[in-house]
Amino acid sequence: MAAAQIPPPDRDAVLAMVAGYRDRAPGEVGEKLDSLELTWLVAQVEQRYGVELELTDEVFAGMATVTGAVHALRAVLPAATGG
Amino acid sequence: MTHADLSSDPSPFSAGEWVDTVLLAGDPGEVCLRLVSPVDRAALRAVVGEREAALRAAGLGAGGTVALRLPPSLEFVAVLLAGWRIGAQVALLDHRLTEHEVAGALDRVAAQFVVGVVSSRGHRLCGYAEVVSSVTARPGGLPARMPHALVQFSSGSTGASKVIARTAGDLVAELDRYDRLPGFPRRGERVVVLASVVHVLGLVGGLLNGLHAGAELVFPRRLTAEGILAAVAGGDTPATVLGVPFHAELLTSGPEPAPVPLLRRMVVAGELVRPEVPPRFRERFGVPLGTMYGMTEVGVIATDLDGDLWPAVRPAHGVELKADGGELWLRVPASPYLGLADPTRFVDGWLRTRDAGAVDPGTGDVTVLGRLDSQISVGGLKVDLTEVEQVLSGVDGVAEAVVLFDGTVRAYLALSGGGAVEAVEAALAGRLAAFKRPRELVVLPVLPRTATGKIVRDPVVLRAARDRADAVAATAAQA
Repeated sequence: MAAAQIPPPDRDAVLAMVAGYRDRAPGEVGEKLDSLELTWLVAQVEQRYGVELELTDEVFAGMATVTGAVHALRAVLPAATGG
Repeated sequence: MTHADLSSDPSPFSAGEWVDTVLLAGDPGEVCLRLVSPVDRAALRAVVGEREAALRAAGLGAGGTVALRLPPSLEFVAVLLAGWRIGAQVALLDHRLTEHEVAGALDRVAAQFVVGVVSSRGHRLCGYAEVVSSVTARPGGLPARMPHALVQFSSGSTGASKVIARTAGDLVAELDRYDRLPGFPRRGERVVVLASVVHVLGLVGGLLNGLHAGAELVFPRRLTAEGILAAVAGGDTPATVLGVPFHAELLTSGPEPAPVPLLRRMVVAGELVRPEVPPRFRERFGVPLGTMYGMTEVGVIATDLDGDLWPAVRPAHGVELKADGGELWLRVPASPYLGLADPTRFVDGWLRTRDAGAVDPGTGDVTVLGRLDSQISVGGLKVDLTEVEQVLSGVDGVAEAVVLFDGTVRAYLALSGGGAVEAVEAALAGRLAAFKRPRELVVLPVLPRTATGKIVRDPVVLRAARDRADAVAATAAQA
């Protein structure tokens, strides 16, 4: 599966995806992510990686910052993509 | 006939029978809800009957009061309809509110009973939860003082929530406005509900209209673009998607999806949609992105379902609006507020919307331009910055605070007595629902003030103060 070849998003990739909400520049995205931005990010990741992420409340809570989201996606994506 | 004609129905709506005649009537085998699995009218009536028996056994009677603290779910639908069927007043609390906020709201309405979650299953991005609920008697609760069926809360500029109440007759009148809207979903069609059924758009425009008009309500398994489009494709009748502008942004982002022939239109409300989005939506899906204007106090006010009038909307049947001093005013029969309220909001039969807008003298069409007060909308959820500022200012260790919206909710504050920003964040987490909390707490040594001593609210001045504070801190770190 091609999606398995894509490495998990780094900080720049996460910022770029979140910035897609309301067509912002990545520099306009703050460190804290609100629930809409987080929903947006997860939806973009699912689309890009062709996966469904089953995130527990604890993992979701840990993604409330850009740094937390990068770490969490690194942890969940290889398993989700089988890579 | 299974669809009550609301324009001529003289039956009294204050008792519970309107639930049967207006909402639950219809072919027992007709699927009316689709969550985990399809629910037909017979099954819905059965589960409503069970919840009604449980509420009655707990002691709830006609004229009693019950508060629901449930996420969107079949359980929410059943308990709500059961409460109304008993003839009780039902208050809705967003399940994301903190214990602190819930306690304040319950005190305001003096609910006799609270229905809450015992256990809940459901993914964070799932459009519904699977809930087991329980009913608890609340000491000190009082019967309803007014004949309202529905009580909702809105973040209030006085710091406390506004308590908004609507009678069954008022809800039925709103359903009649939807009945008269050509193009609004009815029998033989589906509604994919993305808007929360705990708030007015999803509640009346989605849930109640679907039950009343016979349109099947579909709650998507996943609130992603793919999940929403899968819900549209998962039937054989035309589907309208009902959500907030965030959902339209989601559907118009990312790669071009496969054609969605059953998508009839999308309708959004709750906040202004960005100008780029309607044309993008039409180009992508070949159907309109319609908009609606409404408020918790009255429900739907004006619509543009075909996207022909954007950014204007046309008043719904029987709605009378005027623009006065740049503000939209709405004619209403009575004040929608329970208890303490700003006396300037309802004057001589007119409700100040606090929305800036204009009314076209020729067509009567309305263009809404934004808010005139400190209320903002986060994904369709109303947040009053004054409330946030008052809560923040009341936290131990906060000397003074200003809360602004400059694209995001940002707080500038000064700490006292060696307070730490982490402690302030923790205190806020206990008092304000996550969607209301500032995205950033900017700590300054002191807040800038005008020559007359008032705290400055200009974002440019506050940002400059922050830059100066950052520069001082950087210099100190180098020393």
